[in-house]
Amino acid sequence: MALIDIAGREIPADDRVPLALEELPEGQGLAVLLPAGTLAEEVAPLLPRLALVVVEFPKFRDGRGFTLGRALRERHGFTGDIRAAGHVIPDQLALLRQCGFSSIATPAEHPPAQWQGLKDPTQRQLLQRLLGGEGVARAQA
Amino acid sequence: MGSTITANRLTDGVVVWHDGQRGWTTDRAEAALLEGEALDGLLARVRRDDQQLAVDIRGVEIEDGVPAEYRERLRAQGPSVRGDLLRKGHDWAEGPFPPPPSRSHSSPHAGIYRYDEADREFLRQRAAQFGNQVERRLKGELNEEEFKPLRLMNGLYLQLHGYMLRVAIPYGVLSSTQLRQMAYIARHYDRGYGHFTTRQNIQFNWPRLTDTPEILRLLAEADIHGIQTSGNCVRNVTTDQYAGAAADEVVDPRLYAEILRQYSTDHPEFTYLPRKFKIAITGSEQDRAAIRVHDIGLIARRNPAGEVGFELHAGGGLGRTPIIATKLRDWLPAQDLLRYVEAVLRVYNALGRRDNIYKARIKILIRETGAEEFRRMVEAEFAALPADYALLTDDLLAAVGARFEEPPFQALPEAAPAFDAALAQLPGFSDWVARNTHPHRVPGYISATVTLKPAGGIPGDATAEEMELIAGLSEQYSFGELRVSHEQNLILPHVEKEALPVLYAALRKAGLADANAGLVTNIIACPGMDYCALATARAIPVAQRLSERFAAREAEIGPLDLNISGCINACGQHHIGHIGLLGVNRNGEEVYQITLGGASDEQAAIGGIIGPAVPSEDVPDAIGKIVDAYVARRTEGERFIDTYRRLGAAPFKEAVYGAH
Ligand code: HEM
Ligand code: SF4
Repeated sequence: MALIDIAGREIPADDRVPLALEELPEGQGLAVLLPAGTLAEEVAPLLPRLALVVVEFPKFRDGRGFTLGRALRERHGFTGDIRAAGHVIPDQLALLRQCGFSSIATPAEHPPAQWQGLKDPTQRQLLQRLLGGEGVARAQA
Repeated sequence: MGSTITANRLTDGVVVWHDGQRGWTTDRAEAALLEGEALDGLLARVRRDDQQLAVDIRGVEIEDGVPAEYRERLRAQGPSVRGDLLRKGHDWAEGPFPPPPSRSHSSPHAGIYRYDEADREFLRQRAAQFGNQVERRLKGELNEEEFKPLRLMNGLYLQLHGYMLRVAIPYGVLSSTQLRQMAYIARHYDRGYGHFTTRQNIQFNWPRLTDTPEILRLLAEADIHGIQTSGNCVRNVTTDQYAGAAADEVVDPRLYAEILRQYSTDHPEFTYLPRKFKIAITGSEQDRAAIRVHDIGLIARRNPAGEVGFELHAGGGLGRTPIIATKLRDWLPAQDLLRYVEAVLRVYNALGRRDNIYKARIKILIRETGAEEFRRMVEAEFAALPADYALLTDDLLAAVGARFEEPPFQALPEAAPAFDAALAQLPGFSDWVARNTHPHRVPGYISATVTLKPAGGIPGDATAEEMELIAGLSEQYSFGELRVSHEQNLILPHVEKEALPVLYAALRKAGLADANAGLVTNIIACPGMDYCALATARAIPVAQRLSERFAAREAEIGPLDLNISGCINACGQHHIGHIGLLGVNRNGEEVYQITLGGASDEQAAIGGIIGPAVPSEDVPDAIGKIVDAYVARRTEGERFIDTYRRLGAAPFKEAVYGAH
């Protein structure tokens, strides 16, 4: 399960094992695994203690993770790493970026090489121009 | 007895059969007849090994030498309503083709949203991106399961006989150049025709997968695209076909529809929704956009201060669970439109069901959570948005609004002598004017409907030649602007009344002057089993028989909406026809359920089934009895739907099924 950053570049493997919300120990800098269907409100109180949030995509067609990622980043101001895992495809890279994701655990059938050099036109021309700046996505300080 | 293995060829969608040894063939006579382990073994093998050759691989039962299921027989033969095509076989024109119309035509006055280079470049890049996706599919980097949503998001379906490409006509507005470009695609990359749909799209029924990136690139040169005409995303926003032209309009909805289009195109959060999402908007009190049966329906209004706002409905829809939308807001200031739509979409994306596609539409979420609770969640989401987020500022509205040019209307005199003379003298003209025109906001102009519903014809189909002819007429008489209506017709929105007799004569000569807008023969019908893989019955032949049967009586019968769907998905919107017909399969026989009392306007209603389904060939008689019962009971000038509302279903039930 190779990791890439949100520009599609391979990054070093990560040995942290993300835990389920309910198994989270005391402490800081923790990693958590959020299954699809988790609502941002359920995670929000814990965010100050988290360094990594792994959002699971059971199927790339299941878009709940986009709402979750965006809510954590924009509504709740999370500044740590938000990682997409499970079944995501290279064609979703730009959407993931705009929804606040910062890394991807690539699925075996789509190794890092496939995520690079894709002609990616989804630079939000229409929306960005309509609403200015980053379009709907606004990075939080 | 036994089965053969069939599929569609990946590259062009052509129906193929497995010969049992060497591979796929287009000749069904060569198909291997298999049973038991031999069948299962080969099926498993080709499903594993032939992913890059064929799609939708499956076994089909054979009885007496032909497929047992009617759908599979049609699939083997092609659409029953186009015998002319069947004889020709699969032959795509070979290039090089002449330069496309976008090179030589420009329609400078059409009221489309004017693209600039950035808009155009976006479409070019999208077409190139799809080309890359097709390549990766052919190479095996994307499997069919992954590729399917990507092709759907570009409008490419797999139907019964092959691929189908759905191209958006955003909010139904198009220029003559765009229509010519569509005719060009139909002629060179398809089989010479297209089908206009109730959702203001056009469908091409025979494109090859490998040609599709080029088709999209050509469409991009005319500022049109197939983006999000399918898939679980926000679809083409639809509106009133007379938007920006109608005398009874309060707010021109094109501006807001275009803003919604830009907002929802490739929206990072809402491109993988639980299910499709359809938005409709009307700017007149008379609802010609069926907004109450959409996922979000908007009525644009002005408050006493003259400011624009919306009455907002959500959770309407047809399909197997028809529901009239719930009103969420009486008044939403225009500046908050995207913010509120975003709040609705967010609640839906997070909570809509994903375990069952039949329960995944927003209407089911609203029904299951309850309208009050749903409204509370949306309002909470809305309130939590940053105050300056996605506001439709006056500047933004003005900038997008400036892209819609006002056609150079003339100040015309009140009197229209040629028009008046033709009303009295030109045969057929006064009927055509009475039914196929709509009053215009500018004095001396009028909107004219060209119905694509000739007696015995295929509702909504137009040939490349017809498209070019109508495009030419729009250049002569309507500033090069056209509309597509939800009734599957084309409209010339801005015709000088004085020119109407000449236009009428030209249409008549081309066989396009049927005076049946709003009448029983102006049937809305989905493609049904002649094209659609999901169908349970053929809808087109029923529409053809009905329009032939009633053509002579249509004027006497008066306004009546008749809608036909070929399965429960309700693409022909049978639930909201005054008379609705739903084709189902009863033990291999095509039978039709009849519903009465549906309506798509301000008094939107879902029709009620009046009794057992009737066999396809008996449908014209049954409808004849309903119509006779109405004619016998109507009061002076009363429409069918009003008689139905006054008397209920009883007299019509009795007419069809007899007294019990
Ligand atoms: C290959 C052809 C087509 C396929 C596979 C298809 C598929 C579907 C499906 C599955 C639904 C039900 C959605 C639901 O209940 O969630 C539906 C609804 C609908 N479709 Fe189609 N359709 C096709 C062609 C058309 C055409 C040609 C039209 C227009 C004439 C159309 C317009 C509609 C409309 C108006 C609805 C009902 C509104 C609603 O979404 O609730 N479709 N379609
Ligand atoms: S109603 Fe059914 S048969 Fe008709 S187009 Fe829709 S899915 Fe196909």
